[in-house]
Amino acid sequence: MPKILIVDDEPLMRNLIEQTLGALEDCGVELLAAQDGISAVETIIREKPDIVFLDVMMPKMNGFEVCSITKKDLGLSTVHIIMLTAKGQEFDKQKAKEAGADGYITKPFKVDEIYDKALEILRLRPAV
Amino acid sequence: MIKSRLFTKTILTIIVLFAVISVTMALSSGWNLYNDLIQEYTSKGTAIARSVAGSSVEILLNRDASMIQATIDQFAEIAGVSYVYVVDAQREIVSHTFVPTIPDEILRIADPGRESAIKDVVIGGRDYIDISSPIVAGAVGHVHVGMDKSMIRMQIGRAIARQLGAILAILLVSVAVAYILVNKISQPLNKLTEYGRKLAARDFSATVEIKYEDEIGLLARTMQSMAKELQKAFEGYEEAIKEATAELQETLAYLTNIIDNMADGLLATDTSGKITRVNPTLIDMLGLHGSNIIGRDCSEVLDTELAGLEKKSRRFPERTLTLDIDLTRGRTGKAVATSLHTQPTPETPEGTSMGSIILVRDITAEKETDRMKTDFISTVSHELRTPMTSVLGYTAITRKKLQEILFPRIALKDGRVEKTMRQVIQNLGIVISEGERLTNLINDLLDISKMEAGQLEWKMQPLSVDDIIDIAMDATSTLFEQKGLQLKREITGTIPEIVGDRDRLVQVMINLLSNAVKFTEKGLVTCRAAADLGEVVISVTDTGIGIPRTELDNIFKKFKQVGDTLTDRPKGTGLGLPISKQIIVQHGGRIWVESEVGRGTTVSFTIPLPSTRHGEVDASQRGWDVGMPESDQRHSQTA
Repeated sequence: MPKILIVDDEPLMRNLIEQTLGALEDCGVELLAAQDGISAVETIIREKPDIVFLDVMMPKMNGFEVCSITKKDLGLSTVHIIMLTAKGQEFDKQKAKEAGADGYITKPFKVDEIYDKALEILRLRPAV
Repeated sequence: MIKSRLFTKTILTIIVLFAVISVTMALSSGWNLYNDLIQEYTSKGTAIARSVAGSSVEILLNRDASMIQATIDQFAEIAGVSYVYVVDAQREIVSHTFVPTIPDEILRIADPGRESAIKDVVIGGRDYIDISSPIVAGAVGHVHVGMDKSMIRMQIGRAIARQLGAILAILLVSVAVAYILVNKISQPLNKLTEYGRKLAARDFSATVEIKYEDEIGLLARTMQSMAKELQKAFEGYEEAIKEATAELQETLAYLTNIIDNMADGLLATDTSGKITRVNPTLIDMLGLHGSNIIGRDCSEVLDTELAGLEKKSRRFPERTLTLDIDLTRGRTGKAVATSLHTQPTPETPEGTSMGSIILVRDITAEKETDRMKTDFISTVSHELRTPMTSVLGYTAITRKKLQEILFPRIALKDGRVEKTMRQVIQNLGIVISEGERLTNLINDLLDISKMEAGQLEWKMQPLSVDDIIDIAMDATSTLFEQKGLQLKREITGTIPEIVGDRDRLVQVMINLLSNAVKFTEKGLVTCRAAADLGEVVISVTDTGIGIPRTELDNIFKKFKQVGDTLTDRPKGTGLGLPISKQIIVQHGGRIWVESEVGRGTTVSFTIPLPSTRHGEVDASQRGWDVGMPESDQRHSQTA
């Protein structure tokens, strides 16, 4: 069963993404959530999600670090990481790329953008 | 006392005059006297000779020599008579007055025959006039009388000596008279000269005595009144000069005080780059205490950047150059360099260059304020985006759920319900579109604040103008389709690659194209590009409502949109053109607008081609403000 992890310290934002991707639950996609970087890493290790929507600015550990740990330290290359960057500046995009992120979406995003992205990634997978 | 040249000249003239007169007179009177004496002697000799001859006839016939001797001895006593002798018909001397012997020369004197004769003879080395007279027509003999010529000379000598003595006496008297006369004239003249010299040396206390009211007295009086006038004039000038000097010193002191008390640092250089003036603020700002920098070359004293600015200012006197520099104690300064030149004159309409002036302002506080402002805007923008994401996201989800899940399940029999449902969807649409506009505004605000603070990173790379136009046209094609407007593309010739930031230039093009769409209801929008004179000119022309002339100046200002924002619904953030301008200026280009109400608008911008970019000055250098030539600025709408 495909898994999508939503990481954001803002409950409203988590909820919004969860609601956006809610339709996918009907197709059998499991939605997971984490509220900070450390619990995100723990969830990634435990659940090995297919997609992680990862916020950048979070307490304890920021999104870049989570991404870097996942991709480089844990070597989990199959985990598709989409950074949710609020600033939308070149600097952040570059940092996301360096950390090994597979893509980024700039806040404020359109809900369809998240949904389409998730669908696009999951469709590429032979299992779905 | 001044040696009288006049006296010397007069005396010399008199002496020369007297010498000439006396010599001429002496020669003339000597000659006359000589002739007179010769005649007198000759007459006297002739008379004696005749007398002797007359009285000697009988005696000779009787051969009484002693009688003759007695006669001639009488005549020999007469002054001037040297000798008398009588010869007989046989030329034998009968009687004579020679003592002691008859000179030989006498024997050689021939008798004249029957007539009297006068001859000059030399006897014993002396000159004589020999006058002979026949006795009875020479039949009996001859009488010879010798008159001494040296007597004549002696007499002439004496006469001349007397004359010269008299002339000398007259000369002496004349000199004495001349001395007195000349002294009378030259002394007052000398005094006047002395007086004149003192006046020339500005000794107006000097006086001159006026004894007589003659020409010299008049001259002295004139000189005195002239001296008084001069003194008055000089005193006036001195007073004026004193006042002017005091005023100048006061002005100078005032200017020095202004310069020295300025909050900005000041440095002035001459045309060769040598420092001519600095104020204490600059010394303090640059930490130049204790070193005498006046007269030294900028490159020896200042750091490379500031010295370079000074040099550039002299090379480009028409430009005002600025440079951010590091000051002491970790502070930041802004140096502004301008050329220093004299006031224009008809001969030099641009004035004569005198060097450069650099003003340095401590902008640490401004920088800090700028940074804080930028940080503030950045933070605010970020903090606004997060709730905006929620607003937009939740509204979109709500609309989607209403449309996809809830509304299909509601019975549409009630007209009011149907209307309400339509309004709800419409309202949610407005919330979303307004939310998106707010998001765009936040994005633009963030962009422009970063651009203004110079915090934006520019990814300069070689770019194809065609590509940029294509990307922007693709991105805006939906807008054109929605309004049913035609978008035309006109590229003239082959356009060389430019150097620029791809995303930012695309942003400019999208801005211009979306503006064109926004303000055009029918017709077409044309996007043109052409390379011309070292730059690429890109323009977007629409057939829209146009911009009134009065509004043209505002369109590059922030939050200034054409039209009345109260009655016309704003269609953008009001930051599109200011951002575009910032981007174009950063690329070294210029942007301008031409418009006619009711006919349309053309917004054009240029990007310099790489080979000609900025000419000699590189804009990418930190802090350099290259500006634009004045001729170009008329096209540029400065915000």
